[in-house]
Amino acid sequence: MAEVADGELQGLLQRCARQDAAALRALYGRVAPQLMAVLLRMLGTRAAAEDALQDVFVSIWQRAVQYDQFKGRAMGWMVAIARNRAIDVQRATRPTVLLDAAELAGAEQLRVSGPADSAEFTAAHTALHRCLELLGAAQRQCLLLAYQRGLTQERIALAVRQPVGTVKSWVRRGLQSLRTCLES
Amino acid sequence: MNYNRPELLDPLAADYALGVLRQPARARFERLCASQSSARDARQSWEDRLLPLALSLAPVMPSDSCWQRIQHRLDAARPVGNARWPRGFRWWHGALAAGLLAVLVLVGQQTLWKEPVWQPVAVLAQAHTAPQWRVERSADASRISIHTLSSITLAASQSYELWALPTGSGHPVSLGLLPRSGSLVRALTATQRSLLQSAAKIAVSIEPAGGSPTGLPTGPVVIVASVSAPA
Repeated sequence: MAEVADGELQGLLQRCARQDAAALRALYGRVAPQLMAVLLRMLGTRAAAEDALQDVFVSIWQRAVQYDQFKGRAMGWMVAIARNRAIDVQRATRPTVLLDAAELAGAEQLRVSGPADSAEFTAAHTALHRCLELLGAAQRQCLLLAYQRGLTQERIALAVRQPVGTVKSWVRRGLQSLRTCLES
Repeated sequence: MNYNRPELLDPLAADYALGVLRQPARARFERLCASQSSARDARQSWEDRLLPLALSLAPVMPSDSCWQRIQHRLDAARPVGNARWPRGFRWWHGALAAGLLAVLVLVGQQTLWKEPVWQPVAVLAQAHTAPQWRVERSADASRISIHTLSSITLAASQSYELWALPTGSGHPVSLGLLPRSGSLVRALTATQRSLLQSAAKIAVSIEPAGGSPTGLPTGPVVIVASVSAPA
């Protein structure tokens, strides 16, 4: 996403909490395309993603009073609302998004020169990328399929043709390694 | 499981943030977060750690109608007193509509609408004052309605805010601002709904105009009232 400072998003969320409708419109302009990207990747079709996007913005409006500016990034708060909505939709409709081999091999790559909204975020992005690079390819792929596609571990196991137990241990160890690496 | 131990909480929070918990476990963890700040912090940390994965996706423009549909939904949920009259409205349209409504209400009362749509939640009064607000909820608990019962005096720089208090530990959850006059109907989020359904008490605090800046009560709590059990 282009140059949107998290402080500006926090300010808009606080205005939403005071029922300022113009702030929601501004927030939509800033973050809807990125949330749409997250939803589209998880839900597979524009129609499903746009339905979910509407739910997400109604939620943001209604829950803005709960946003605590002192903990975590505003964008993180909104992405979590979007991902949770997509997970609920997925689990309710049980979609059958089939992944082909090319997609598995290439599409889940993390862009190195990712878009950034602040210097702090660029640092976080670079650190996560560096730590993902240190994981085995299979572990990295499992984490990306889970996070960006919203696949369950059972579905990941089918996609990568491995037993579920193997996938679960890759995910568990991958997360542990990420944490250790990010804190080092 | 003892969730106070970070070595148990952290992997659970990681699985939650990654999105691999099954639905019952997701719901359990969300309830844990609602009541335990260490769980909330662990979730927050993991969500922030993984956030670059979401932000590295190339943005996709939603279609133009998407915003209009959001606006439409929010308009539908707006307080009743705020409704705008359509253009071309004439007084006799109003009289006609009111007459028609009166007939419908009379017919409805005798036939269709016997069941009460709204159930009492609480009547709110400060010590030694007349009742100030009546709070009700819809039968499906998806909305609350608030009626002002007496004149409300408060500095313009302040607002009265309504809170549901969790039984046991956990933070109060805002149910929004209380009106200074008239009535309003407000849609509840899933979190507000579930807390209100389990809450034994609701409270009113005095906040800066527009409501608490932190999401938790910051000013004096002037009313605590018991919640009537759902019918």
